This record gives sequence, C-alpha cells and structure tokens, in this order.
Amino acid sequence: MKRVWTFLLLMLLALPAIPARAQEKLIVSIWGGSWRDLVANTAAKKFTSETGVPVEFITGGTIDRLNKAKLAKGNPESDITFTTSHVGWLYANDDLYEKLDFAKIPNSANLVEAAKISPFHIGTWAYVYTIGYRPDLVKDVKFESWADLWKPELKGKIAAPDFDPSHLIVVSAMLSGGDASSWEKGQDKLKALKPNFKAFYTNDANSQQLIANGETPVQVILSMNAHYMKREGVNVELVIPKEGGVLGIDTVAIMKGSKKVDLAHKFIDALLDPQIQAEAAKIKGASPAVITAKLDADTSRLVGVFTTPEQWKSQAIVIEHRLRAEKTAEWRKWFAENIMN
Amino acid sequence: MTSRPFLRTFVTPAALCAFGLTAALLAILQYSVRAFVPGSLEPGGLTLENFTALMKPLYARVFLETAWICLLTAITTLFVGYPVAYALVHARSAVFKSLILVTIVTPLFLGEVVRTYSWIIVLGNNGFINSLLLKLGLIAAPFQMMFTIGSVVTALVHVTLPVMVVMLAAALSHINPVYERAAESLGASPIRVFLTITLPLSTPGVVAGVTTAFAWTFSAFATPQLIGGGRVNMVSNLVYQLGFASFNFPFAASLSLAGLAMTLALLAVMRFVARPLERIGLH
Repeated sequence: MKRVWTFLLLMLLALPAIPARAQEKLIVSIWGGSWRDLVANTAAKKFTSETGVPVEFITGGTIDRLNKAKLAKGNPESDITFTTSHVGWLYANDDLYEKLDFAKIPNSANLVEAAKISPFHIGTWAYVYTIGYRPDLVKDVKFESWADLWKPELKGKIAAPDFDPSHLIVVSAMLSGGDASSWEKGQDKLKALKPNFKAFYTNDANSQQLIANGETPVQVILSMNAHYMKREGVNVELVIPKEGGVLGIDTVAIMKGSKKVDLAHKFIDALLDPQIQAEAAKIKGASPAVITAKLDADTSRLVGVFTTPEQWKSQAIVIEHRLRAEKTAEWRKWFAENIMN
Repeated sequence: MTSRPFLRTFVTPAALCAFGLTAALLAILQYSVRAFVPGSLEPGGLTLENFTALMKPLYARVFLETAWICLLTAITTLFVGYPVAYALVHARSAVFKSLILVTIVTPLFLGEVVRTYSWIIVLGNNGFINSLLLKLGLIAAPFQMMFTIGSVVTALVHVTLPVMVVMLAAALSHINPVYERAAESLGASPIRVFLTITLPLSTPGVVAGVTTAFAWTFSAFATPQLIGGGRVNMVSNLVYQLGFASFNFPFAASLSLAGLAMTLALLAVMRFVARPLERIGLH
C-alpha cells in the first residue's frame, strides 16, 4: 500500500514539469471542426513559420469554453480565445480578457469599422444571418424583404436557430418601427410568424441537414452554411433582404493572465494579415475583417460577403454587440416562452 | 480491521467521488438562489426569483410533457423488450443468444448524436420510411414524423431498450423452470403458463426496468433536441434553451433542481404503486 501512495506522490510532484513544456506553445481556444482547421491552416501556419512557436488548439462549444474560462480566471487554459462578438463582451465584462496593445498589431490599422468591437476583442471575419431557401421546394415565393417570411404560403416551412433568436427579434422590431433597444415593439409581429415555423435548429450541422433534406425549405440561415451547402451540391439560394442581413462577427482576444502576451499579439497580427484574411474568406465564404484583403472574384460575388464600405453600410443590420450581450438572456427567454413552446 | 483489510482502500475513492458529486450539487443549489445579472457571468445576490419564475404554465406544461414522454418510452420499451428478453433467456442456441445480445446492446456503443442522426435519416420527409411508403404507393405525400412526440419516443426507445432487456433477462433467468414445467405437465397451454407463471414471477424485473427506463429518459437531451426540433421539449432542453444558451446560469440551476425534485417524486410514486406488483414476483 505504501508503495502505491509513494508512486502517486511522485506523480503529483512531477506535475509542475508539465506547464514548463506547455510554455513553448501558444494555446488557442476555438470551436472545433472546420473552425479549428481554418485557423490551423491559415493564421497558425503563418504564425509558426514566423516565430517558430507551434500553436496548440483546445476546442469546445461557445458556452463550454466560456464556463471553463470563467473557472480558470487569472490562470487561463488558453492564450487566445475565439468567440462571437457579443459573447466576447461577457468575457470582457467578467475581466477575462487582456486589453489589446494595438501598436503590437500593425494589421489592426486596416480593420473595418464593424470589426472594432472593444479594447479587448476585435473581429476576425464576418457573416450574416439571412434568408436561405430551396428554390425547388418554394417555387412561387419571392424573398425581397424580411416581411416575406410572414407569407401564409410558408406555413410550416421555416426553421431558425434555437440558440440565438436575436436575428428575428430585431428584424420583427424593425418591421414594427422599432430597433434592438425597443425590441418589445416587434413582439406581436414575431408571434404572428409562429405558424410558419416548422422547427428550430440547434447547430450548424442540424441547419445544414434540415435544409439539405428539404425538411425546412426556408431558414434564417448563417450565410457561410448556405455557401457550404451550395458547394456540396444542395440547391439553396441566399438573399439579403432590402433591410439587410443580421451581421455576426467572430472575434479574437488575449486571455488575461496569459504568459505569452507578446506572442499572442503576433498571432492576432498574423490573423489580420490581408492574405490570410483573403484565404479565410475564400474557405468560409465570409467577409474579411480588414479592408486591405483582396478577395478573388468568386468569393467577392458571394451573397453576404462584404468587400466595400457601401456593402457594409447598406447590407448589414448591426445589433450593438454590448447591448446584444446584455439582452441575450431576456430575448432567449421570451423567444422560448412565446415562440418555441 | 484485519477481517476487512481493503476496506479503507476501496472506501476512500468512493468517498472522494461522493464528496465531488455533493459539492457539484451544492454549487447548483447556490446558483439557483442567486440573481441573474444581464451581461455578466457573475451571479448577483440571494433571491428566490428563479423559483417563482418557474410558476408559469409554460414550465408546468414542459414538465408534464417530459413525464408523459418518459412514461410512453418506459411502457413502449417494456412491450418491445419483454419478448426479446424472453427469447434471450429461452433460446437454446448460444450463437442465437449472442446475436440477440449484440444486436440489443449495440445502441449503447454508438454515440448519442450519431444514433439520433440515424433516426433523422429514417424518419425524415425524404427518409427511409417515407421513401418506402411513397414507392409502394401507400401515401401520396410524405408523412410528417419528425418533430413529433412519437418520433422522439421511438428514438428514446432505441437507446433504452438494452437496459430494459438486460434487466428483464436477469429477472426471467431467475425463474425456476420447474414451475413452468409443472404447469405444462398439468395441461396449461403455453399462453396460460406465460400469463400465470412467467409474467407474475418476472414483475420485479418489469418494475426495475420501467423505473430505470423512466429515470434514464428524464435526462435525455440530444434526442429530443434534434428529433424534436424545438417543437417537442423536455426539461433538459428547457435548461439548455433558457439557461445555458442565454448564459442565465441561476435560472438553469433552478430548472435543473426542479427537474431533479420532480424525478425523485415521480420515482417515489412509481415505487409506491409498484410495491404490490413486486410482492407478486417474490418466489
């Protein structure tokens, strides 16, 4: 028995040696799957070739990673965190982010206005949640405005994300003469859309599967998902309504307590490199976060990919990120109580 | 001490696990009585608001629907599982027994998400069942199966079945075959033997199986989430929707505790109702 305890004790004593090795790497927290691959094959590759420091990824869902970061406050598991702009505000409000030193990120000078989120987190790429539909399954319906979703012929045909109702809440408010801050104005309008919902999707894979098999031929869909499905051969069309698509921005930040702050700034600079941005935009069908990114013609033509200040201004509905972070719970609760259940 | 030399060695890890689980439960309890602060991860001061917010009819409906889905799943699993367990116990060929066991246990080795997606492929409008029915000319348009209680129960039965079969098989294998043979020798038909001997003597397994299936189903998440498509919601989905997806952890904690209390209460009721049935099976 004594030997077992001695062995365990020696194992415990050996533990401090592990972080010493970890210091040689930059740890990046990001969603799994294609997001991890995107960063690994673009920014991380460039960063490692320039600094010689390898990048290691820890992956997980938005909420899982937020919880972990909160529990590890002051001694973070990662040096860099990718998350959505409004969720980033939850990190920032909880003092989990390091203030960025923009002098150490020369490429940040080229950030588009919408990507300048806060002194703690900045945009990396952008997308829209907009109307996507299967033209072969909803033949006689034209989508020019968000109001078209309310057409009776779309009864039982629409799907929307169950994890974030902010798009439809703000759109309903706008159609009712309000905006995000006066969202209550759109409550009745949104309730009137209830018969047209068939399902609520829970993640990207679920959204793709529901539109690919025609189960929900109309979706409030992530533009990048629609582009991906189209590349896979699914007959899906994406439109930006006259009011605009609801803009989403994924952001990057340095975790407070990171021991590799300088390297983390270098990583962010590599991420904002115009060529890396163009590459990421091409892979994902997203809008680059820097104005200097030169996209190829095919990517530029994609619906929801913004390359000019005019597009950013006229085609995007921007929900103020901090307000969105503060309202998310209220909106989510109202949506679950009044629309989903 | 000398008679039980390994007691401390075995009890220590178990006590540590129990301590960890109790600590987690206490953390949930303390979250449930803290106020939610919009835009912040840190909960505010003490409040009972999270519990008073649960008094809305919506939550009562979801809790009742959850109990209904659990009951339907448990009963359906029993009816599907009993013949399988019977065949498993009474089959003479070892190969056939192994085949039944492997077929039944396989769902446990598949990931929940993969298993659920396979049901989407089967039940969808363009899925296996609808395609077959359309090809056979039995229906003119796809029959809507997804996003219904029936489809959620079907998928839940799939994963609950192994547990039910194993429990029923254990109960059936404990029945002394002499009783059945005696009844047969006295002229009882196979159906009468089953109804008057086998079924009553297997009631402890039936009660254990139904109770376990009920409790097991209560915490289902991915299956109702994906197959229910937000139209069929169980308590765990509500916790996700209202708590985690909106970062309102205090409300999620109060919902979880309410769900836990309801499970315990329902299991206590089931136990009370099933007590006379269990006595029948004592032999």
